[in-house]
Amino acid sequence: MTNLKRRTFIRAAGAAAALGTLGFPSLVLGAARRVVVVGGGVGGCTAAKYLRKLDPSIAVTLIESKPAYTSCFMSNEVLSGERTLQSLTFGYDGLRRHGIEVLQDTVVGIDPERRWIQTAGGRGFDYDACVVSPGIGFKWGAIEGYDEQVANEAIPHAWNAGPQTQLLRNQIESMPEGGHVIIVAPADPFKCPPGPYERASQIAHYCKHHKPRAKITILDAKDAFSKQALYIEGWTKLYGYGTDNSLIQWVGAAGGGAVEALDPSTRTLTGLVEEFQGDVVNIIPPQKAGAIAFAADLVDDGDWCPVDKRTFESSRHKGIYVLGDASSAATMPKSAYAANSQAKVAAAAIVAGFQGKAPDDPTFVNTCYSVVGEDFGISVAAVYRLNAETNTIESIPGSGGVSPANASPEIRKREVSYAHSWFKNVINDMME
Amino acid sequence: MENMKREKSIHKGVGHLLFAALALALPVAVAAGPSGQALSFTCAGCHGTDGSSVGPSMPAIAGMDPEVFVDAMQAYRQDERNATIMNRIAKAYTDEQLKEMAWFFASQRLRLFPQTYDAALAEQGARLHDEYCEKCHEKGGQPGDAGTLAGQWMPYLHFTMEDFLNGKRTWPRKMKRKVDAAIEASGDTAIPALVNYYGSQQ
Amino acid sequence: MPRRIAITGFVSLLAALLCTSIVPVAVATSTAPDEELMIDHFDPETGKRVIPNERCLTCHGDAQQQTDVRDDGTPVQIFVHSKEIEASVHGTQNCTSCHVTIDRVPHRKAPAVIVGCIECHRETWEQHKNDPDEKHARLKVVNEQIGSYMLSVHAQPNKLDQSRTNATCYDCHEGHNVGELGSIQRAEARLKNPEVCGRCHEAEFDEYRGSDHGKAVLEEKDSESAVCSDCHTTHDIASPETDKAKLAITKNCGDCHEEAQRTYFKSYHGQVHRLGYTDAAKCHDCHGGHSVKGEDDPTSEIHADNRLENCRNCHKDANENFLSFWPHGDAHDRENYPGLWAFRVFMEILIFSVMGFFWVHVILWLYREVMDRIQGKGFIEDLSQPDLVYFRRFPVVWRWIHFLFAIATMTLILTGTTLLFSHTAWAKAVVEFLGGIRMEGIIHRTAAIVWLGIFFAHLAIATSNIWRKRKTFEWFGSTSLVPNMKDLQDLKNMFKWFLGRGPRPEFSHWTYWQKFDYWAPFWGATVIGASGLILFMPDKTSLILPGWTFNIANLVHAEEALLAAIFLNSVHFFNVHFRPERFPMSTAIFTGVIPIDEFKHDHRLEYERLVASGELEKHLVQRPSRRVSLAASFITTVLIMTGLTLLTLVLFGLITLPS
Repeated sequence: MTNLKRRTFIRAAGAAAALGTLGFPSLVLGAARRVVVVGGGVGGCTAAKYLRKLDPSIAVTLIESKPAYTSCFMSNEVLSGERTLQSLTFGYDGLRRHGIEVLQDTVVGIDPERRWIQTAGGRGFDYDACVVSPGIGFKWGAIEGYDEQVANEAIPHAWNAGPQTQLLRNQIESMPEGGHVIIVAPADPFKCPPGPYERASQIAHYCKHHKPRAKITILDAKDAFSKQALYIEGWTKLYGYGTDNSLIQWVGAAGGGAVEALDPSTRTLTGLVEEFQGDVVNIIPPQKAGAIAFAADLVDDGDWCPVDKRTFESSRHKGIYVLGDASSAATMPKSAYAANSQAKVAAAAIVAGFQGKAPDDPTFVNTCYSVVGEDFGISVAAVYRLNAETNTIESIPGSGGVSPANASPEIRKREVSYAHSWFKNVINDMME
Repeated sequence: MENMKREKSIHKGVGHLLFAALALALPVAVAAGPSGQALSFTCAGCHGTDGSSVGPSMPAIAGMDPEVFVDAMQAYRQDERNATIMNRIAKAYTDEQLKEMAWFFASQRLRLFPQTYDAALAEQGARLHDEYCEKCHEKGGQPGDAGTLAGQWMPYLHFTMEDFLNGKRTWPRKMKRKVDAAIEASGDTAIPALVNYYGSQQ
Repeated sequence: MPRRIAITGFVSLLAALLCTSIVPVAVATSTAPDEELMIDHFDPETGKRVIPNERCLTCHGDAQQQTDVRDDGTPVQIFVHSKEIEASVHGTQNCTSCHVTIDRVPHRKAPAVIVGCIECHRETWEQHKNDPDEKHARLKVVNEQIGSYMLSVHAQPNKLDQSRTNATCYDCHEGHNVGELGSIQRAEARLKNPEVCGRCHEAEFDEYRGSDHGKAVLEEKDSESAVCSDCHTTHDIASPETDKAKLAITKNCGDCHEEAQRTYFKSYHGQVHRLGYTDAAKCHDCHGGHSVKGEDDPTSEIHADNRLENCRNCHKDANENFLSFWPHGDAHDRENYPGLWAFRVFMEILIFSVMGFFWVHVILWLYREVMDRIQGKGFIEDLSQPDLVYFRRFPVVWRWIHFLFAIATMTLILTGTTLLFSHTAWAKAVVEFLGGIRMEGIIHRTAAIVWLGIFFAHLAIATSNIWRKRKTFEWFGSTSLVPNMKDLQDLKNMFKWFLGRGPRPEFSHWTYWQKFDYWAPFWGATVIGASGLILFMPDKTSLILPGWTFNIANLVHAEEALLAAIFLNSVHFFNVHFRPERFPMSTAIFTGVIPIDEFKHDHRLEYERLVASGELEKHLVQRPSRRVSLAASFITTVLIMTGLTLLTLVLFGLITLPS
């Protein structure tokens, strides 16, 4: 029986029983279920691993265009020189050890009707369930004069860890003493809300030791940002924030921080009020769901993919589960831990569906560490539950929150070591 | 794979248990809420898959004594234990959920990862352990009613001992006496020796 | 943070951090796959932790560190002999089966030692009581003991601390060292018993230590000698002030001192004690309880120099004469108590001869009348034509006197024989019914005074009657009760008639057996009355009589009472009521009259004399009214039934009398 024939058979049987349901135990059909995972980031890897963990009979194929995964989290430490890009890069052999087929290819289309996936490499896969975890794409054109080519060559966004991260590191390293670094932070929502500020911190950490007269300016499209008070506490303690000699300056939207245009040749940014010129400019553009999400018609009128919050199944197409940054999970930040947590919920829901069971109530956690500088780590944590009535994910009252203000140096120091351990465990949990 | 099968059969036992617990609680709690497994899966990002941590500051919680687990989480929840982040997370869970998570981790096999240690200190620590610690932390500190010491990550053990010695964590009954005696006997190296001894068990 | 650990601690911390961050996730080792998982240490059904005994013995079995320090700094013994437990009946139990409050090791809080012995033993017995094997058979006894304990003073709340009982299982039982029946542990536990009790009962233990029992047990390790529980029982412990405890202790002394107990129970003290009069002298009142010693020991309470003091505990005015009382006097012991023995022999000869003679008389009479009836002879009342004319035999005063006398006598028999037969259940029941031994004593003595009063009243009336008729009174006349030669002749002729060798003799106003019935109480009143008074007033008696008089008085009082009780309720009943001519009863003594035909038949000579002298008319009366007849029948019936019941009880008591 060929795959296609089998598919036809399933269709017929499925239609006879209850149209569109997956309510057949694998045993009845006598063949393995197949799940195709699109995207080898935190969401995709975790989903692939936990699908196998929950039901080893499921055949899982993970399709990723890059040969290895480079984590964005902790990549700001590359900018300060505390760590190499290499230390953030991991192959997919760990997933293969779990019996997952990892394919280096690019998905160009998903047919939710036929349950069929087409790759750029010319391969096609049918699936019983599909997990789409493409991460983010960028809204080019939001800032005049800033496009993909400029980003790759001169003004990196470095918001997906990789060559641009190295480029930015190199620019900072070669910047003259007393130079000016500008970071342009986007409006919400965007991937890794505390990221721009940790980036500024890490660059300041580098400059404090190597270019103490340098300036780092954050031009922000917002009036407030994640872990703001803690960052300011750290900056004040470590980088003289609030003084004339502060290494870091933050310009909020109200202060004219929103940037409208870039002149790449002079590295001049045009704000609403004034212009800014930097020796090193890092623009983090506004974001949207990754390309395949658009190609597969998973995005609604906005920039993100609406999902059923109980299962993370797409609201637009049954059988497709959208995880991580691309999904519209509202209250949950676009973070690695959130994607990791969502992936497990989706995996459990897929397995429950295969077994003809209703999905369990979901539970989510997000934790996120930022290293502000030497011996100064901060964190945010949240535990979420589903509000089934409103199909929203809500933070459990009384729990979560950021590190306490004015904590002891011992606690701040410990959070640095926890940040690094956290990194190891997230990586381990998604791909080992 | 092999592990997975074993875990499944164990989950069955836990499942029965939970089923019994649920059956009893049924008239009150109609909505089941997330399963113990689902709740526990969310811990993996910090404590490793199924609680076998690979990050040296994050303690391994796989194979942890369930009552020690619940005690610890409750202490965090009440802000009774020196915490950076766990107090904030623990506040999200009910006693029942903590128990279910405890059973989940108790059903896991602890995987240990190698860590470097000072052999001379470890040897000294072994002697101290036998003299002062073994009665409570039996079999060299194997997972049990007094927590998991053997093979536990050394930085975490150091944090813990710092908290005890700094009065930031309440000594378990009799422990202070024993630790004081060990420090009395071996001076400054007592705690590092013990930590290296536990770290040496891999 | 103390500096001494800060430096080294931090150095090694950094080292560890560095090393582990350089070596990324390397090969993991996991605990051996065949090893148990943490969850296997929990009971899948209850979810409770399973704590193996070895875990407990890690600390509690460490012979090197037998003590620990409590949270308040005081030392506490924590050592437990594991070998001992293994050898005990609880050897296969888990520590936590009994130590139910222990759910964590190491204990998070100082554990309360709460051991639930009772529930477990009850439940286990419930589960296994129908088992075919005998493995749990002993639990039946254990549960009975639990039942006793629950009612005992030990199970009562402590007066000073209401939250606990006076004593609980493991205060006495070494829970870890309970041996099986016949085991060494049990023998050892027996020797340790006084010390165990002495932990609370310190003063008693001190006394006991110096006693013969105590020396034998504690110094010579003689497990045969008495320990606390032998006298006080093990579980059924009551306060020694209670009657229950006093009775139990006396009884328990006899488990070893059988002969002393037998003779004690024969004594007045023993009799009333056994019936619940616990104030009467008991073993330990004279011998000392915990300090019991031989009589040769000058510190002994029964040493000759100390004995009178003992008597005075109850008999405040006891004098030297008390010392000659034989507390354990044995009427069967000719060697040691010849006087007592002689009295017993005399009384028993008297009883046997009187009873022997009259029972032969009864049986032969019965035989004769039955034979006569078979042959259609003899006196048969014609019930279809009842007599209308009756002969008046007893004036009202005698009828009252007999009635009261009968009631008093029966009361005395009932209350007196309970002492004699204190071993029987009926005696105890009667005592209880009457309101206790003290009440019984009052009733007995009241009845005795009534009895003697009637006796003397009758004497007075009789004397005055005779005095009034002194001119004409014929001492040996036909209406006189004084025995004469004709009575002897009648007796002889009766026997001839019984045997069919002559006609039935003809009698005057009083027959010889009626005269015997009349005169016997004179003897009885003397013997019973005198001995009774002696027993009634021991202090007064002892002013003039030696102590052994009480032994004699007790003996003859009882023996004579026995004689009277048996005689009246058998021979007298037969002669008056049960012989076929009269059966079922004669109500003459209550109506005062008998049918004229009956009078003619039984008192022919008198009838003829009265007819001859023309005096008969004077004595004739009309047939008593139906109401009078019924009342008389009722009273007679009640008295006869009562008498027969008493006879039955007495005979039962005699038959079951311990040798």
